[in-house]
Amino acid sequence: MFSYLFSFDSGILTYVSFLITNIAIYAMLGLGLNLQWGFTGLINFGVAGFVAVGAYGTVVLSMRGVPLPIAMMVGGLLAAIFGLGLGIATLRLREDYLAIVTIGAAELVRLVINNESLVDGKPGAIGINGFPLPLANFRPDIFTRYGMVLLLTGVFGLALWKLGDWGRRRLGSVRESKNKVWLTAVTGVGALVLVRADVVVTMAMLNFRDNQVVNGLLFCSVLMAALVFLLVETLVRSPWGRVLKAIREDEEVAKALGKNVFSYKLQSLMIGGFITGIAGAFYAWQQSNVYPDNFKSDLTFNVWILMVLGGAGSNPGVAIGAAIFWIYTTLTRDLSKLFPMIPTSQIDAFRMVFIGLLLIGLMVWRPQGLLGNRAELTLGK
Amino acid sequence: MSAILSATGLVKSFGGVQAVDRADLEVISGSITGLIGPNGAGKTTFFNLLSNFITPDDGIVQFKGDRIDKLQPHRIARKGMVRTFQVARALSRLSVLENLLLATQNQTGETFWKVWTQSKRIALEEKQARDRAMEILDSIGLIQKANDYAGGLSGGQRKLLEIGRAMMSKPELILLDEPAAGVNPTLINQICEYIQYWNRQGISFLIIEHNMDVIMGLCDRVWVLAEGRNLAVGTPEEIQTNDQVLEAYLGA
Repeated sequence: MFSYLFSFDSGILTYVSFLITNIAIYAMLGLGLNLQWGFTGLINFGVAGFVAVGAYGTVVLSMRGVPLPIAMMVGGLLAAIFGLGLGIATLRLREDYLAIVTIGAAELVRLVINNESLVDGKPGAIGINGFPLPLANFRPDIFTRYGMVLLLTGVFGLALWKLGDWGRRRLGSVRESKNKVWLTAVTGVGALVLVRADVVVTMAMLNFRDNQVVNGLLFCSVLMAALVFLLVETLVRSPWGRVLKAIREDEEVAKALGKNVFSYKLQSLMIGGFITGIAGAFYAWQQSNVYPDNFKSDLTFNVWILMVLGGAGSNPGVAIGAAIFWIYTTLTRDLSKLFPMIPTSQIDAFRMVFIGLLLIGLMVWRPQGLLGNRAELTLGK
Repeated sequence: MSAILSATGLVKSFGGVQAVDRADLEVISGSITGLIGPNGAGKTTFFNLLSNFITPDDGIVQFKGDRIDKLQPHRIARKGMVRTFQVARALSRLSVLENLLLATQNQTGETFWKVWTQSKRIALEEKQARDRAMEILDSIGLIQKANDYAGGLSGGQRKLLEIGRAMMSKPELILLDEPAAGVNPTLINQICEYIQYWNRQGISFLIIEHNMDVIMGLCDRVWVLAEGRNLAVGTPEEIQTNDQVLEAYLGA
């Protein structure tokens, strides 16, 4: 068993950098949405629109010679301004209106980029490619490799410590010995999975192929996701975040205590939008081309799925939700090889069905998501 | 004896219903003033008009000499007039302590970029606010619950929490909408004692209440509202012997 834990198959490694980049990007998307919905209670069904604004803003600017970091920041700002417009139009109304308007606005953005020619007079529908990528000539040396290994091992270490802490606390509160066995088994398997994942990731980092463009992007996206995570964690633990949570609970109370509810909702929508826009830049870079069809509402719903899965209102939960969502997607991608007799389209459909079932199960047995707090949900208003 | 809050000629109609019809009210600085009237008299609507949660159709509201009837509700609260709600509204998924901390006024940390630029000052302010909140929680007997979710409190405890939260904002005037409704007699006495205690420290109160013992025991002056209009005003003794009031409300 130990030899398995520390072994690795080189075939899996090429997937790993793709997987980690995807997790980082979707974690950013989830964190942006979580600020809006998980902490402020704003229903944003237009995530794809924010991503599109950020992605196209960055791509078009960088193709006109704007340096990438600046282009990305401007892309984020454009997404924030998009949020400002939506907010001014709808936030004074009841919350359902925001949901309806955001979903419509996202479609609007998609139709505009589909019909407008933004680069070289080429029609929007054929997409844009050949735009500059961050650190495209990046060749990881020994320091950046080990730096990355350290960073990711740190993330896994933290998860392991959290898991152990959770297991220990639960073990203290559980009476029946049968449940104790269960709990120990769950914690143990979880720990093994984490160690195994860390080993695979470490191997992947150390086996960086020198010519891969994805290396630079991998570094940037993980660093940016970590930065965004710290940013939102600091924000939601501040008095500012307390006002957001108060608005989520009962905005009349916040108003009666002197808080400018409208302004805070706008701020939440804009900061969340900014984060989503930044993630949009990475979304474009990761695919190295952008098509209007990449910004359909299934992108929005995937972000909602991973947020609900991990636990709305919990930033670590959202990060884990992103990881689970992408690991699931990657692991089930090759199911058709295992079952050659079933058509691929049916297998793909089943993958989505299973996610649906998983969500239903989660709503029934663990409505707060994986890392959410159950006590919070059982409270009467 | 100046008025801290005065309303003159307030009007509000919902469709064809004249909820408040040219009603006046005055709260003398430093007093505990009562507002009573039969069900549907327009008392809560009147409260909403005073705090501008509902905009009046006509009339003037003045607080500390300034007109506030065009101010947004949160600005009125910042000026020092805080209201509570008829059905106590706890912020369920915040802890009891956080409920109070929220009410602190002029928090540096409520401006998001200052979260990074002035983190030391914010930490200091948080500590001071925490100490003050614990003091208030201690005085209303909720200190044991400080770290519990507010959603787990009982109805009576929520009423106390609302009053404590209002106190936390260091107001000059508190509008209480039925502080004793649904609260057991012992707790009612307790709430009354707090109100008197804080009143001695210089805070004025305007109280809507159906419990006559509370009104008569606490208030310096009582205003009576019926069908959206002023019916009478006077000391509790005068009100208790006013024939019109007896007929319309006390029913004796």
